[in-house]
Amino acid sequence: MKHDRPTAPSLIALTRGHRLRYACAILAMAVGIALMFQIPLLTKAVIDGFVAGPDGTYTLELPERLRALGAPFGATGMLGQLGLVAALVILLTAGAGLLQYLRGRWAAQASEGVMRDLRDALFDHFARLPMRFFDRSNQGDLVQRATSDVETLRVFLAAQVVEISRALLLLGFAVPILFAMNAEYALIALALMPVVVAYSALFFRQITRRFQAVDEAEGELTAVLQENLTGIRVVRAFGRSAFEEEKFAAANTEHRDTTWSLMRLLATYWSLSDLLCFAQTGLVLFYGAVFTLGGEITVGTWIAFTEYAAMVVWPVRQMGRTLVDASKAGVAMKRINEILGEPLEEPHDALDGSDVRLAGGLRIEGLAFGFEDGDRVLDGIDLAVAPGETVALVGPPGAGKSVLVELLLRLHDYDHGSIRLDGHELRELPRALVRRDMAVVLQSPFLYARTIAQNLRMAAEDLTEERIFAATADAAIHASVLGFDQGYETLLGERGVTLSGGQKQRLSIARALLREAPFLILDDALSAVDLGTEAHILDALRARRGRQTTLIVAHRLSTVRHADQILVLHEGRIVERGTHAELVAADGRYAHLWSLQTDLEGELTPTGAKR
Amino acid sequence: MSTPPQKRGLDLSMWRELYGFTKPYKRQVRLLMLNAVMTAGTEALLPLVTKNLIDKLERWELAGPGAPVPPLAWDLAMFAGLVGLLVFSVFHFIRNAGFLKAHMAADIRTAGFLKLQCLEFAFFDKRASGWLVARMTSDCERLARIMAWGTLDVLWGLSLVTGIALAMLLLNWKLGLVVMVVMPLLALSSLYFQRRILRASREIRKLNSQVTAEFNEALMGVKTTKAFTREAEGLVEFQDRTGEMFEASVRNAVLSSMYLPTVLTIGSFAAALVLVVGGQGVLGASLSLGTLVAFLAYTRQIFEPLQQLAAIFSELQMAQAAGERILELVHAEPEIRDSAAVRQRMADQLLAPAPGLASDGHPDELGRIELQGVHFAYTPDEPVLTDIDLVVEPGETVALVGSTGGGKTTLVSLICRFYEPTAGRVLFGGVDYRERSLAWLQSHLGVVLQDAHLFSGSVLENIRYGRLDATDDEVRAAAELVGADRFVARLKGGYAFDVGEGGDRLSAGERQLVSFARALLADPRILVMDEATSNVDTETERHIQAGLERVLEGRTAFVIAHRLSTIEKADRIVVIEGGRIVEQGSHAQLMALGGRYRELHAHQGIQELGVRADDWD
Repeated sequence: MKHDRPTAPSLIALTRGHRLRYACAILAMAVGIALMFQIPLLTKAVIDGFVAGPDGTYTLELPERLRALGAPFGATGMLGQLGLVAALVILLTAGAGLLQYLRGRWAAQASEGVMRDLRDALFDHFARLPMRFFDRSNQGDLVQRATSDVETLRVFLAAQVVEISRALLLLGFAVPILFAMNAEYALIALALMPVVVAYSALFFRQITRRFQAVDEAEGELTAVLQENLTGIRVVRAFGRSAFEEEKFAAANTEHRDTTWSLMRLLATYWSLSDLLCFAQTGLVLFYGAVFTLGGEITVGTWIAFTEYAAMVVWPVRQMGRTLVDASKAGVAMKRINEILGEPLEEPHDALDGSDVRLAGGLRIEGLAFGFEDGDRVLDGIDLAVAPGETVALVGPPGAGKSVLVELLLRLHDYDHGSIRLDGHELRELPRALVRRDMAVVLQSPFLYARTIAQNLRMAAEDLTEERIFAATADAAIHASVLGFDQGYETLLGERGVTLSGGQKQRLSIARALLREAPFLILDDALSAVDLGTEAHILDALRARRGRQTTLIVAHRLSTVRHADQILVLHEGRIVERGTHAELVAADGRYAHLWSLQTDLEGELTPTGAKR
Repeated sequence: MSTPPQKRGLDLSMWRELYGFTKPYKRQVRLLMLNAVMTAGTEALLPLVTKNLIDKLERWELAGPGAPVPPLAWDLAMFAGLVGLLVFSVFHFIRNAGFLKAHMAADIRTAGFLKLQCLEFAFFDKRASGWLVARMTSDCERLARIMAWGTLDVLWGLSLVTGIALAMLLLNWKLGLVVMVVMPLLALSSLYFQRRILRASREIRKLNSQVTAEFNEALMGVKTTKAFTREAEGLVEFQDRTGEMFEASVRNAVLSSMYLPTVLTIGSFAAALVLVVGGQGVLGASLSLGTLVAFLAYTRQIFEPLQQLAAIFSELQMAQAAGERILELVHAEPEIRDSAAVRQRMADQLLAPAPGLASDGHPDELGRIELQGVHFAYTPDEPVLTDIDLVVEPGETVALVGSTGGGKTTLVSLICRFYEPTAGRVLFGGVDYRERSLAWLQSHLGVVLQDAHLFSGSVLENIRYGRLDATDDEVRAAAELVGADRFVARLKGGYAFDVGEGGDRLSAGERQLVSFARALLADPRILVMDEATSNVDTETERHIQAGLERVLEGRTAFVIAHRLSTIEKADRIVVIEGGRIVEQGSHAQLMALGGRYRELHAHQGIQELGVRADDWD
């Protein structure tokens, strides 16, 4: 088989369509920081502008550029100059704030947009991947990838990228400003920054491990609770409370102690990194004082330096942690790409099929099938069914009955032999067409967490209420549905009504009947239905006889007795075939099972009161 | 999206009560409080180091050239001292808050768990286990976190605000008052935003779990989706969800990115005031330059504690429901439990054991079981059992038959005292079972339910649950007795095979066999089997039938079954319809009677035509 293997999108590719917003967000952040960085310079201008008079009072003499700014407003007096600076501080803060807001908005729109695209892509992919993919995947793991891994990426794009860029931009702006004011002092002001980053990054690697230990302990604790609570009746029936309490106490204590050990590590981390950051501020403060005393810088420069150092050191500390967290995004992307990189069910087909209308003829010749890595599950299958006939497949679990159904639906493709629907080779018919013309009730049928009506209406377009009621009546579920408070508008699933196995099967049968397709396939669709109800449904099916070709897979002989032909499958081969009467007469497996039944019945009703 | 109605006020009495969980950790709480105040104090003092330095330098500059360089050692020492103190208290508050959080979460959870272990079945009928698990995990964690870190945040926030206010007032009370004008504004806007941000993030969590549910559904229903060619429609519906998710996330991010700029801008007004008013003070020599700079620092610093206070206040409001749920659980009184008199007798018996008596002071034998005028209803106006009188002699096997929903399972649940009759009495050997200890009764029970629940772990461990001190050989013997050994032999690892969560790696029939073996291992005096073999294949059932006679010897048994072969072997058949006993007697008697049993029997004959999957083997 050849597949066009689509190349998995990289993180960069995913941002397509959102890059402009991202760029704008970064630009807004840069401009915002540039504005914010003017404020310490204003403070410096004011402080250096105070000129001491002989009597201890001061006069204020702002630099020429600032005074020119105030001149149009007449803000030239000393009070005017102070007012000018105050107004500038407010304007700059508000301006920077506006840009910060825009940055947040744009970054969120971009990153959440990427996430929406990614979630949609994953969902679409799940629906279009071939069955063999699901046969070898674990559902929990796939959901994990589609949720937690996507969340990891989201945090990376929405928060971590922003935080790292912010720290880098802060440094990028601070470094030239500081060096322009005084190079030696600037070096001192930045001296501990690399240490802070390295320390945070190293420590956080450690902390991440402890976090994992806490997660594991939490998982274990949840499992213990879950088991105890779902099995509480058993616990009580055996009077095992003490035993359970011990088990719980162990998990609870383990969780408590791992949490506590994480907190101890965090206490060390945060206090030591505080120490480092304060050491950096202290260096700036005291070296600055010394430089000022030495006349190398002004008091204003000194204060500006301390402010810049304070503005930069905390985000830089955060960067160390973010870098460690961000490394998870790569792993998450890889795990997601493993899904997105999987080839889809090939959409192209040899025939466009738009003019094909199936009538219900089925002919199987020399069919053999095996999964990629395993033995053959079906071998040497021959079968001919005229439109409107009913065929039954019986046999032990694992005989290959459901696989045959899945082949007919093109959920798998066969390599050997041929399956023809009205003369068309199945493999060459478009999947959509094949599935349109097959109404199926799968083994352990699936209903969506929507209303009953919505579940039924997905069978075909424009269904009238009469048709729906007729189908549910045939499937012996109409009365049960009306029994629910909301009738057909009853929501199914966890947040609504949980149906019993038999109810699910009957509703799925109604859904399949509504499809009015040339083929009707019931894969063990009556196993959870009681005998009286089964008889009703089989009667309804018999009344439809001739309208559609029906394939019934069943374990119970009562289900299949009236079929036009019955096939007994064993280990992938048809070992017996015929009508019920023929098979009973043939004295094979079918007959043996039948006699087991009648024996049991005889033994149970010694009076011989058989029906 | 509607959010559940939120009580606006804080229910302080509830929080006080929850706070009782800190009692064993008084020392840590006191240390935590001390550390919080210490941290706030040092943080409020740090700007003063800068102030002193500036003033010192300013005075030196004013003194003109040639003035002696002022020593900075004292300032350095003060800075180092404050930083040392700060780092020390940060280290300890994280430790103490962490300790409190971890221990209180565990304690609250233990209190809840112990209560869950003694609450009656009716409690669990009304609550899904997943819901209870969430209460026991996330609610407990959240409450402990709020109480540990909330204590810290409240104390730290209040002390820091007070400290800063004090420092400003002492430095220059007029300027201090001017700055404090903006404090209410900061507090109010923080409260406004924090509450909305919390609410928005709760909405996102909800949407997130919906998206997860959709993914789950997509994977579980992939065959159906393909069979009904619903790929495109499914995607369209999913896109509605991700669209909502997008909207909500952006709304939340926008809120957060409005919050900080807003409070910073409000803060900048304070800074502007300081510059204008304080600047004039400097010009007029009534305010030192250092004080001006210190004030600028304080205007920036004061926002953080206010933010924390607003956050914890909103959190307390949001977590109120969680607190109520937990307290409700902790306070729940089990409706079925040993009465005070029973507990007294048990204590007496423990102190002075009377020979031949059980731990509750009554004879240690089951005797005859009598139900006298028993009524039962799960909800008051829907009686399930009416006027049941039944006498069962020791060693008797009673089969309960009747339509689904007729009350058979309820009747055995009453006998097991999983529920108690709403009227009437159940007597064991002439003693009302409410006069006996629950533990005594349940230690003599062996129960096999229709939907057998197993625990994750090996087959061996699951069977041993019936009697914890059973040897491996005893476990095997029990398994052989019910015919479980045949399928166990086929499992990978045999008895060591891990049955998976809830036993889901075994078929329903296999689970029933294991639970049957488990019940037998307990060597119970009363055996209750609720459709215990309904999922077992015909061969195995025959095997069980053969062993059953031995199993039932010397035990009182209640059997609910649909298979006639099981029913016929009973000493007595009790037919229950509509919550009443309508017929009882032996098979022959009831067949002769020609009533409901005979009718059922004819129908049952048809039922037996159903052959299960395993019969093909």
